[in-house]
Amino acid sequence: MNGYLRLTGVSLRYGPQQEPALDEVDLEVPAGSSVAILGPSGSGKSTLLRVAAGLEEPTAGSVTLDDVDLAGTAAENRGMAMVFQRPLLFPHLDVTDNVAFADRVRGVPRRAARRRAREFLELVQLAGFERRTPRSLSGGQEQRVALARALAAEPRVLLLDEPFSALDAGLREEMYELLDELRLRLSPTILLVTHDHREADALGDTVAVLDGGRLLQSGPMRQLYTRPASLAVSRLLGGRNEIAGEVRGGWHHSPLGVFRVATSVADGPGVLLIRQEAVELTGADADAVGTVVRVRRRGPRALVTVEVGGPDRPGTARVTAELGPGLQLEVGRDVGLRLPAEALAVVAGNARQDGVEADPVESVDDGQR
Amino acid sequence: MTLGARRLLPGLALLLLAAWFVLPLVPLALWGLADRWSAPAVLPQEWGLSGVAEAAEQGAGSGVVGSLALGGLVAMLATPLGALAGRALASRHLPASVLVGAVLLSPLVVPPFVVAMGFDVLLLRLAVPAWAGVVLLLTVAALPYTTYVMRTAYGGYDQGFDDEARTLGASPRQVVRLVQVPVLTPALAAAAFLAFLVGWSDYVVTVLVGGGRLVTLPLLVASATSAVGNEAQVAALSLLAVLPPLALLLIVAAIGRRGRKVRA
Repeated sequence: MNGYLRLTGVSLRYGPQQEPALDEVDLEVPAGSSVAILGPSGSGKSTLLRVAAGLEEPTAGSVTLDDVDLAGTAAENRGMAMVFQRPLLFPHLDVTDNVAFADRVRGVPRRAARRRAREFLELVQLAGFERRTPRSLSGGQEQRVALARALAAEPRVLLLDEPFSALDAGLREEMYELLDELRLRLSPTILLVTHDHREADALGDTVAVLDGGRLLQSGPMRQLYTRPASLAVSRLLGGRNEIAGEVRGGWHHSPLGVFRVATSVADGPGVLLIRQEAVELTGADADAVGTVVRVRRRGPRALVTVEVGGPDRPGTARVTAELGPGLQLEVGRDVGLRLPAEALAVVAGNARQDGVEADPVESVDDGQR
Repeated sequence: MTLGARRLLPGLALLLLAAWFVLPLVPLALWGLADRWSAPAVLPQEWGLSGVAEAAEQGAGSGVVGSLALGGLVAMLATPLGALAGRALASRHLPASVLVGAVLLSPLVVPPFVVAMGFDVLLLRLAVPAWAGVVLLLTVAALPYTTYVMRTAYGGYDQGFDDEARTLGASPRQVVRLVQVPVLTPALAAAAFLAFLVGWSDYVVTVLVGGGRLVTLPLLVASATSAVGNEAQVAALSLLAVLPPLALLLIVAAIGRRGRKVRA
């Protein structure tokens, strides 16, 4: 039940004057793998899914499944089932008939279709809910039924359009685990979209970052976290540290200090990026020393903003670090910062807000609520 | 206001409202069962079924059949047409949708008498059978109601159901048959009911275009009222005209309740 999905140069324009909703997107979803498309709302990620599903016709480019071009193949004949953010359970059918829907439209007799539907309900741990109406289910249960319904269609590619973003955090974790289990048992090919980098990380083998209809970067999430190709990617992934400076001969100079540039970046303005999780606060052996200017609680951890720069260096730089559980720091304290070389990335150009600090996490998380 | 009064008031209002609807039926029922009921008496002096018998004699049976057929045909035609128009109006792809909507609602503005007079000649010239002309005109008269109901229903219909069904392998026809129609059944029932009422209760078009060959209940009621001393018969015919729509209304309400129950 798994196919190899490939999108090549897919573009979509709704009108000649309008900005493209998708701009030459190339994407590969190998059989049995899970690819997450990460992007803010309006980035075109749902449109990309709709193009793959055949619900939307691309203006250019091709969608192939196991090397067969799907141009002109109607949505119902593509062998892709989709789960949307809203569960969209058919209100006139009970839970079993919802799951049996794909079999019924294929002409499977009702009794056989319902029998098979029950197996899929067991798979999503909803045995005993067969005769319930969609209305009587909770949000999490509805989404499980929607998942069972999609799986029962035995799609060659399973498309998930922010399927868990309407659920609260606990239920979301449960759904991640359920999806992991389903992947172990059925190894479906999955293409999913999300605006949450943590969800992309939890569900995708690889992640493709989409913004403004363009694919910015794709690869394993670890790589995207430590080596974002641009400021936009870093921000979408929740990176908070952008230190403006200058690259000269493979070294990045800024009020923070001088750091070796791991990737090849041309001389000129450059922004040093490091994940807040990678910054260590230390007493000795510090790469830079600064003063705590802000502490924000984030559950068991805290975000500590340290301002670095003093009389001997021009300008200041702010670095945000994540403080481990149980640790305390007050504003005004002097601390040392350690910035591990393997966690540093430099991208050419200037940071937008003078490069001191971007605060993209909230805006990304709240993207499509 | 005390809590008790606050609970009592809505009940009282409901009771008054029910009385308002039921009250006109009381004298009708009394008249229908009265063999003699002269002026000063509060209740009939003689009870009996002669009114009902007279009504039957005057062709109430064929009147009911005629009205049912007319209402049924109008509902059968105006409901799917209204659904199509409503769907088009609810979608964002229709050009000049305001104008189209206004045209579809215009039969509400033009008095049926005018339409009937105007079309009578045309239909005669085109040699359209009288009954077909009546059905045609009443279908047009019913369209505003069915279109309006279905436009609202389609406006609230989640297009996502169609997308979901398509990706699950349903062809566009199957989407309509297996998803749209069942989900919209309460609205379709309501639209059909309104269209049925247009056919069931029409007098003007049936008289003018039907030319008296098409016998329906409203025609019988009108002819019975024009004579004196027929009160019992008129009452029996009128009750007969009220009961089928009332039964249908209960059915439609039940379908609507089921629809609300299955919807989130």
